[in-house]
Amino acid sequence: MKSLLFAECFKLFRQSKTYYAVASLLIIEGIILISAYFEGTNIINILLDNLRKTFYLKGNLLNGNLLQYLVLNTLWFHLPLIIMIVVSGMLTAEYKDKTVQTIFLQPVRKWKWILSKYIIAVGFTAFIVGLLFITSYWLCNVFFGKGDLVVYLDGLSFFSAKDASNRIQWAFLAGTISMVFFAVSSLTIAVILKDVTKTWIVCALFLIICNVLLKIDLGTDWLNQFSFFKLNDTWQYFFQYDIPYSRIWLNWLISLFYIITIASVGIIIFQKRDIG
Amino acid sequence: MISGINISKQYLGIKVLNDVSIHCQSGQICGLLGANGAGKTTLFKILLGLVTPDSGNIIVEAASKKRIGGIIEKPALYEYLSALDNLRIFASIQQLPTNRTTLEKYLLRVGLPLNRKDPVANFSMGMKQRLGIAIALLNNPSCLILDEPFTGLDPMGVVSLRSLIRQLTQEFQLAVFLSSHILEDLNQLCSRLYVLQNGKLIRQGNTQAIMLECTQQYIITAKNLRQSNMLHQWEHQLQGDTLKIHIQPTQVPDFLSALALEKIEITSCIPQPDLLLLFEGGKE
Amino acid sequence: MRNFFLSFWLLISSSNIFSQGVDESLIKMRQRIDSVNSFQVNLQLETDISFVNMPVKRAVMQWEKGKPVQFTSKDFILLPKKGLDFSLSSLFEYPFVTLVRGITTQQGQTIKEMNVIPADRRADFSIATLWINTSLRRVESAEISTNKDGIYFLQMHYRLPTDFFPDRVEVKFEIEKIKIPLNFMGKGTRVDKEKMKADGMKSGKIFLNMSDYIIRKIGG
Repeated sequence: MKSLLFAECFKLFRQSKTYYAVASLLIIEGIILISAYFEGTNIINILLDNLRKTFYLKGNLLNGNLLQYLVLNTLWFHLPLIIMIVVSGMLTAEYKDKTVQTIFLQPVRKWKWILSKYIIAVGFTAFIVGLLFITSYWLCNVFFGKGDLVVYLDGLSFFSAKDASNRIQWAFLAGTISMVFFAVSSLTIAVILKDVTKTWIVCALFLIICNVLLKIDLGTDWLNQFSFFKLNDTWQYFFQYDIPYSRIWLNWLISLFYIITIASVGIIIFQKRDIG
Repeated sequence: MISGINISKQYLGIKVLNDVSIHCQSGQICGLLGANGAGKTTLFKILLGLVTPDSGNIIVEAASKKRIGGIIEKPALYEYLSALDNLRIFASIQQLPTNRTTLEKYLLRVGLPLNRKDPVANFSMGMKQRLGIAIALLNNPSCLILDEPFTGLDPMGVVSLRSLIRQLTQEFQLAVFLSSHILEDLNQLCSRLYVLQNGKLIRQGNTQAIMLECTQQYIITAKNLRQSNMLHQWEHQLQGDTLKIHIQPTQVPDFLSALALEKIEITSCIPQPDLLLLFEGGKE
Repeated sequence: MRNFFLSFWLLISSSNIFSQGVDESLIKMRQRIDSVNSFQVNLQLETDISFVNMPVKRAVMQWEKGKPVQFTSKDFILLPKKGLDFSLSSLFEYPFVTLVRGITTQQGQTIKEMNVIPADRRADFSIATLWINTSLRRVESAEISTNKDGIYFLQMHYRLPTDFFPDRVEVKFEIEKIKIPLNFMGKGTRVDKEKMKADGMKSGKIFLNMSDYIIRKIGG
């Protein structure tokens, strides 16, 4: 298994498209940061307008923590799209180039090979989110400094600089789990469809549907709590003043269940299908 | 040794292979001849385990973990990687050593240069075929299956690849199956021939015997053919130094002797098997 | 002539009202304030506003006679516009009169309730009500109706009877509930129109806990 993981990792990081994807994400992050900086003043003014009548506001809220929070808010559509393209490409490219045939002309177990792809997909996703976290943390704090964070979620919440930093870290972790869900889904879609373009289209459709359904009230508490698309904003719980840890752990557990189920479906389908 | 026994396969109601049995011994090169769509590739995919047959068995006598190596259609390589890195990938997934010395040995085995570090996308078709064979031979399989390996090669490439296949078969005592729709390639390499048509085996046996059975015409080139006095006895077409003559294989030695007596300088004598006859079906 | 005498009498009467001036208790309290040149104190700020969540903040407050109050803090802090100057010096910036409303006794202490009414349009409040502890010469609580910033109420708590400056001040004020454009709303925010209409002005509180006073008196 280790050798399969090594091979997948080797292939992934020797392809130029991986670096294009990483560069794209860094560029997107930069653009979001710049626009967040200019929008940030506006946002703060709107949020704090009422308070200014009664209070003097002393301190700088337009700081690295706020910008990193704004980056967080906008990242969760662009990031999964690119991750899905790269991850699904790990398999569709092999079908297109027929290297999947060459692989199975060697003594390799099908389920092990496809499982190694899933594992590397998860690792790559975590790496990408980690990279974005580190770069955004560095850029935001170096250029804009640290400070308190103000968030509007059913009321204005102010978090001290250290508290905000911790919450942002946890939010990135929560976001990583959501991104892993999308990565694994894209690989399963690739197993089913095999074709590059069809897989991209279906992945994009899946992402859009998830984002739309995330904001819709499904009517019942059960559906609103346990549907897989409703779990993708678990990161926001870290910005409630009192963090509902039990709810977050439950969401993560359910997400893990979905991830394992979707991966298992992909592995079973791949195992059953002929390569030729 | 590799045997496929009573193999059948059907796709969407269409029988692409109908009770096909083939066999190849160690150190032997067997050919599979058939037109496009005859079922050659499907049969090879079944032998290689890429496709499950509807019925039939595959028997391979092999000592190593990897029993069969092969190339289906054209060699599928990681075009963005170099030859060495391709070998590294395929070697590593089989837990083979991936040190540089070992990998270079594989390259030398198939006559590939060691100094090419560029991606395989830049390689010629012949080089890609060689690399594909190198990958197929990783882990020392006892059988090798090559699906139309000469496709896309120039004449020099074909000659070179034929020589390589012969050499590897003898050196490693491989049981080799190769397919082509070009008779000349199979005639030169294969000791045993299977002819496939519409998923059915219509002929099998010694290649030379099959060729002779279906040959009623030869192309003879000689410098001064027009000077021959005996051509009128045969149905023939003469164009310049090239003679197309309808003659039975058993009569060819006498005919060539007679030409030699007439001081005709023969440069080649190539049998032209009748494809219609070949694919009409025959006997074992 | 009649009109002249009437106007003259009214003038004398009104000047008598102004010459009533300032209650003695207030004067004594102000004398205590006036003896202080400056002070510095460590502040701990706690907010109690229904739609604001904020952790306890720390700041250092510096007050100097005749100068605006200064604050230093590493954190972001919300400082109530009114109520930080618990010396209430802003009430006495311009001419004013006092009107005693009543005297009560609380826990053995005499508390005088009086209105402070500004006599100058430049004052930023319309009326203030002070509850002054006449024995200890200090303000126990105050309600101030500002011209622009609504009504706020201060409740002072003192550690010792001899303390002039409080160790805890509750500032209660009115504040309009925050209205945020929809596109800034985050997860779980449901727009309840009826509730939004019903929400008007809310009351909020800030608790200031003071410690480690450094007081510089005049001549000292």
